[in-house]
Amino acid sequence: MPSDTVGNVALVPFTGDSPPAVYPLHHGLAPPISRLSISWARGSSLRLSLFAGAAAKVVEVKLAGEDSEIPDAHWRRIAYGSVAPFALLQSRRSSLSALLKTPSPYRSDWWEHVLQYSKEIGSLLGGPKLPASPIIEDPNVIAKRGEEPTSLKAAWELIEIFYVDKQSQAWLPERLVDWLADYASLFTSTHETIHGKLVDFQKELVNIQVIEEDPRYWDLLSSALSVGWLDIVVKMLRLHGSYQLDQLSNRELENGLVEAVAVLISKMPRMRPESVGKLGECYKSKPDFIKAWEKWRSQITKLDCSRFWIQCDNQQTREGLRNLLQIMLGNTESLCMATCYWIELYISHFLYIRPFTMGIESMYNLAQKCIQLKPRSSTHRLSVLMIGILEENTEVVLAECSREFGPWLVAHAIELLTAGSEQAEILLHEERYNLGGISIVELHRLVYAQILSSHALTWQIAPIYLTSCMKQGMGLLENLLYRQSAQHNDVLLKNIEICRLYELDHISSNIMKIAGVHHWKHGHKGAGVFWLQQAQDASCLDKIAQQLFDSVGKSISDESFKQWEGMIELLGSESKPAGGLEFLHKYRDFKKSLQKVSSGKSTDAARQAVGSLILLMKNPSTPQRFWLPLLYDSLKLLNWQDCPLLSVSETNLLLNKLHELSLAKLRPHHTEPSLPPDALSSIRLALATNLGQAILDE
Amino acid sequence: MAAATTAIQRFPQHRYVDAVRWLPLQSAFDRFAVLALFDFDSDASSIEIHALNQNPFSLEPHSSWSSPSRVSSLKPSHFLQKPLIVASTSSGSLHFLFSDSSDASLLSEVSLPEGALHSLPASCVDLMDGGVECVSVGEDGKVNLVGIGDSNLNYRRLFDSAGLVSYTAVRWASPMEFATGGFGFGLQWWDQRKPGGPVSQFKGNWDKKLTSGIVHSIDIHPSRKHTCLAGGSLGTVFAWDLRWQQQPIILSGAGAANTAVQSISESEVWEVQYDRCIKSNTSSTRILPSMICSEDGILGVIEQGEEPIELLAEPCAINSFDIDRHNPSDVICSLEWEAVAILTRQ
Repeated sequence: MPSDTVGNVALVPFTGDSPPAVYPLHHGLAPPISRLSISWARGSSLRLSLFAGAAAKVVEVKLAGEDSEIPDAHWRRIAYGSVAPFALLQSRRSSLSALLKTPSPYRSDWWEHVLQYSKEIGSLLGGPKLPASPIIEDPNVIAKRGEEPTSLKAAWELIEIFYVDKQSQAWLPERLVDWLADYASLFTSTHETIHGKLVDFQKELVNIQVIEEDPRYWDLLSSALSVGWLDIVVKMLRLHGSYQLDQLSNRELENGLVEAVAVLISKMPRMRPESVGKLGECYKSKPDFIKAWEKWRSQITKLDCSRFWIQCDNQQTREGLRNLLQIMLGNTESLCMATCYWIELYISHFLYIRPFTMGIESMYNLAQKCIQLKPRSSTHRLSVLMIGILEENTEVVLAECSREFGPWLVAHAIELLTAGSEQAEILLHEERYNLGGISIVELHRLVYAQILSSHALTWQIAPIYLTSCMKQGMGLLENLLYRQSAQHNDVLLKNIEICRLYELDHISSNIMKIAGVHHWKHGHKGAGVFWLQQAQDASCLDKIAQQLFDSVGKSISDESFKQWEGMIELLGSESKPAGGLEFLHKYRDFKKSLQKVSSGKSTDAARQAVGSLILLMKNPSTPQRFWLPLLYDSLKLLNWQDCPLLSVSETNLLLNKLHELSLAKLRPHHTEPSLPPDALSSIRLALATNLGQAILDE
Repeated sequence: MAAATTAIQRFPQHRYVDAVRWLPLQSAFDRFAVLALFDFDSDASSIEIHALNQNPFSLEPHSSWSSPSRVSSLKPSHFLQKPLIVASTSSGSLHFLFSDSSDASLLSEVSLPEGALHSLPASCVDLMDGGVECVSVGEDGKVNLVGIGDSNLNYRRLFDSAGLVSYTAVRWASPMEFATGGFGFGLQWWDQRKPGGPVSQFKGNWDKKLTSGIVHSIDIHPSRKHTCLAGGSLGTVFAWDLRWQQQPIILSGAGAANTAVQSISESEVWEVQYDRCIKSNTSSTRILPSMICSEDGILGVIEQGEEPIELLAEPCAINSFDIDRHNPSDVICSLEWEAVAILTRQ
């Protein structure tokens, strides 16, 4: 950071060497723009709201910097697919460390689990690996392009080769040969490559009459041979003119030499397990390989010293073939001539000069030497990653992955980096003061989880990564869950399900409260009550009960009561927390018994109705404003013809309530129920009559 | 336990699959599926008919109709021998798509605009067999009937609870009757001839300690119109027999702890359908076997008194499924992770 930014008020000091880029924005509004508001939209888009006078427009701007190699939808597929392997590895890690009672699961066989994880993730990044250049029947096709490989998969495989796969450690050089064969086409974007030259040559193949007279033919043969693409070399050699039937007789010797070289190439000893469909003879044990290697080299030397070369009168064939022999003999100069950039040269060294696995340090030195021999102005991101790996600098590798391939790769590749090395494990898992007390591993997981959280389709998998973060994970998870919309039932239920999985009961109860209030405010009273009940929020239920009674009081005619039935059913049994809404239950019972009374003249039914009425009037949860309407509704009961239905004490209770009401009238905020003006007096009269009769009866 | 004799094919869609159904067709050779898709990146929704090819096994887009907003409920049927698809959207509109009976291409569309039926977006529809009438219910508590003519629609409101009760599922039982489901595991039985409210309500005596839930899906078997099968929260699947009013027959989930019922899932059961594949020779007192899909990624078959059978256990939610009427061994389901899967049971 330059010193002049110290004391600067900017939160993030701008230290760019280049001036900021300016992009025009097409919004179609007439200037001047009076207000501009900027907020985050979905994913990494910015939402700009522009106001110009009375007109306004909202524009979403997608920020660049996304990997154009892999479209968004494909990225999501990778994200979905990597959840299960990641979760499995984490659970293995924690069960292992519980077993060993150490925080680090480092054990000799741990890498096997990581390798399985690596293979599963690797398979997500592209279909089954096709042979680099499948030879198909068409003789003109020498290098066929299979499924387009991605740099991401190439990077993943490179990390796997170096950090995880202990089994193939013995033939590491050969694995690198295969790696380059699979991904050589990627490097074509930044500089000239053998693969690129081959593809170009193939396009012109149909126009070439005499192939062996074209200098590019021999150049490409030596190039392809230098990086070990034996199949291509042999196939190209067989395109040589001397194989043609009409020429065979007078070019017999020449053809013999071509075929001899082709046979030698196809017999090249390789220190690797058997591979189907590839040329070369494979040896698994080192002594066997050395024996075969020595024999093969002596055969080449013998052919090189052969007298037949002098008799071969085709100069181009002679020189081209002898150059191929030089490459096989490991002539440094020929190798350097044949290859285009340092990785190709590096691979050719492994093939023809030092075919054995060596220490990573000497591999690094060799790489340095190759880079010196093949300096480049532009370097591909994969070659930067490779140098980082060879330098044995875990932090550089991580930084490179993060910068060039994004948070997905870092969050998942970290598992590979720590697979075989306790040192890396400690380095990446130790808590760091400069990171706010979290480890590098946690930092990268959090970053990745934030990316997942920002998209409506991936936020549900973010919890898997957040819960694997010891320090900050749970806090961010709670944030994430709170942030989801409570508006749509399915999102809400998916959210609550995540709370259930991680036993975050307090969060789910808060989310349900939010949902309850949301529904209530939008007039879905039933849904609101349901969610508040689920959240066991008695105080909120009490509050909405008061509002609910307002509408009950206004519209409680017998016809509209049908609407309330469902709501009362929802409130369920009395053991459930219903707050003040409990009243509705009793009210419904009372209404029902009153209906029975009005339809018949049974005194039993009337007595039942009176019982409900007294229960309601005694219950403290019955709101005061219902007292008068309740009594007015019960006038028929109070004026019962056959006998007084209320006892003296019951009548007194009701009279007391009337008295309380008259006192309440004096208080502010009292609302008069909408009843006929003579309602109060008729109730008083009925109660008085009933009291008189009851006294007489008792 | 997973059935070993099930072939599973997954087809990534690169878009969210809101709903998936088989398209009932007369032809035995051509098979089609209806997908309601939503692209979060471009905010575009569509209903697409995909053709299922056998050799090689693939699901190819066939015809498409772009929807004004996300599809909340999808139901195919047939009308005058032609396939008919009804879809309700999250903006509250209702669309009827008529398709060609021979090649399943979409021919025409009639719709009711947003606001006509429901004041609130979320709604659920069911189309009568033969497609004459459609019932639409919503969280706003409105129950609507939409009659389909050749080119016009007429609709009437059967009931409005004014938001006091919300409905989240609906299913025809007969040309006159249908069942709805909602919050608190509530079920209602309706009869067109008796307007003014449900003719019967179900609110079972659930275990009081248990939290309640929402009914997400209902099915009624044509041979047993008195039994209503419902699936919802907490892995709950239960049957409500109109003849045994207040006691639910619990087949899975909530309340199962104290009965001998095994739960196939503990999370939301998004959809439930009678399994047409299993020819059960059980007596009429037992509930017919049914298939469910759930938030925890289970697609399975449950049968009263039997151990549940898992057909599919996915790492992500299975949001909807449909059993092919003509080939009941084939099931199509939509996965949370932007894909559909087709299962073929042997």
